Amino acid sequence: MIQDPVVIVGSGHSGVAVAAGLRTRGWEGGILLVDAENELPYERPPLSKELLKDGAPDESAVLRKEKFYADKGIGRLAGVTVESIDRNGRTVLLSDGTRQAYHRLVIATGSRARPLTVPGAGLVGVRSLRTRGDALELKRLLVPGARVAIIGAGYIGLEVAAAAAAKGCEVTVLEFQDRVMSRVTSAPVSRHFEQLHERHGVRFVFGAAVTSIDGRQRAERVTVADGTVFPADVVLAGIGVLPNQELAQDAGIDCRDGILVDGDGRTSDPAVYASGDVTRFISPTDGVSRRLECIQNALAQADRVAAHITGQAAGEPEIPWFWTVQHGVRLQTAGVRQPEDQVIVRGEPSCGKFSVVYLRDGRLAAVDTIANLADFRTAKRLIAQGARIDPVLAADPGSPLAEAISGTPNHSDADLAAARS
Amino acid sequence: MSNTSMSSNALTVVDREGATHDLEWEPDQSMMEALRDNDLPVLASCGGTASCATCHVFLEQEVFDTLEERSEDELELLVEAEGYRECGSRLSCQVGFSRDLNGVTVTLAPEE
Repeated sequence: MIQDPVVIVGSGHSGVAVAAGLRTRGWEGGILLVDAENELPYERPPLSKELLKDGAPDESAVLRKEKFYADKGIGRLAGVTVESIDRNGRTVLLSDGTRQAYHRLVIATGSRARPLTVPGAGLVGVRSLRTRGDALELKRLLVPGARVAIIGAGYIGLEVAAAAAAKGCEVTVLEFQDRVMSRVTSAPVSRHFEQLHERHGVRFVFGAAVTSIDGRQRAERVTVADGTVFPADVVLAGIGVLPNQELAQDAGIDCRDGILVDGDGRTSDPAVYASGDVTRFISPTDGVSRRLECIQNALAQADRVAAHITGQAAGEPEIPWFWTVQHGVRLQTAGVRQPEDQVIVRGEPSCGKFSVVYLRDGRLAAVDTIANLADFRTAKRLIAQGARIDPVLAADPGSPLAEAISGTPNHSDADLAAARS
Repeated sequence: MSNTSMSSNALTVVDREGATHDLEWEPDQSMMEALRDNDLPVLASCGGTASCATCHVFLEQEVFDTLEERSEDELELLVEAEGYRECGSRLSCQVGFSRDLNGVTVTLAPEE
């Protein structure tokens, strides 16, 4: 009989999924979720989308109803942080001064917004967006006529730009690269979304390195490297995230821009697992070491952890996928693109509905779908199969993507196993 | 299995192995939440926003016909799904609780 519970640090998608997965898999011991935020664990994707809209309720959907935790015997400590881990004694020290013993520890502390480091970053009106509290604060600041400077044209920056423009703000996006979403997509998709935003009155400044934010009490203007000054009442920094790895690092667990985990979510301490945004791992599909900030990864790793703790086989993970909605247009991506992939535009972007197909060594590696979910679903399946794709057929939007498979799939059983593991 | 209380719906689920499960579907749950929170293997990775199609179910046609039409996003995701039924496939996250659905049977679609 195991007396000590599985203690899960963090109640985002991954932490809650570990707890639920343990019960689904028949774990009969205790489960304790420790959450720094003092509320019912909630969905994050709506924070930069629906929640910011005028008239939207200040609640975002919860991950599970309150009753679920009670029904499943999942204990929750909300508003409590874990200060340190005693790995030899298998206990954690909590912010309320108590010690909690664990049978297995799961670190699912997620990530935090990368902070701006320029002078003036601490002024009132300079915000980032990560929690529901951040979203509600931002929502109050986005009033008609407000001058909003957004630093960084990634998912978060652009989703906030869309919400701010819809509320009648004057929006300027300052981006260091030469196009939007350059880390996650190709130039044709960037151009499409730039034009979409411009039609809604958003102004872009590319190659812009912010050097300072100035103002007396609060932010009043943003200055970039060439000396140009942009008046701003609100400044939002959307410049990526940092993994919340300090708890593990301070305990001597191996970290390198993320807590290092194996395919079962195990850290360098066999009694300690990590799951979700906070981890770094070698992707089984392409052998690349990465962090993956998405719900698919949060859930797939949670399943691996719950399976390993209970000594069971894990399910097949989904292909990584991502989505963003800007001005009502959905960009949904399957697979992880690399800059050197072959890029095939499928359809006419000016119609507003198209896909971009990414091939690596002739095989489908990733697909961006723009208001085109039919290709998304097919792509997920073909990527998992390691399908070879005929570039000419793939470029024809009149022909289903599934019919663009070229010849006989030319991979060995080992390839297939690798693609699916 | 608990008794169905006055306010909940009874829901019968046929899983992917053909086994049936009787659940209580509570008024504040979508159909997907009722399935997921009762430990049925429904991934629902998008959290109920009609984005991922991992909560695909089949409804009986007479039940399907009583529901509102599927949104464009839902339909696009379903059409490419394995075993798609024009008059039966739904994303269960898009099926809200309704008294009229008391006692219905749903079948989990194949996993892809």
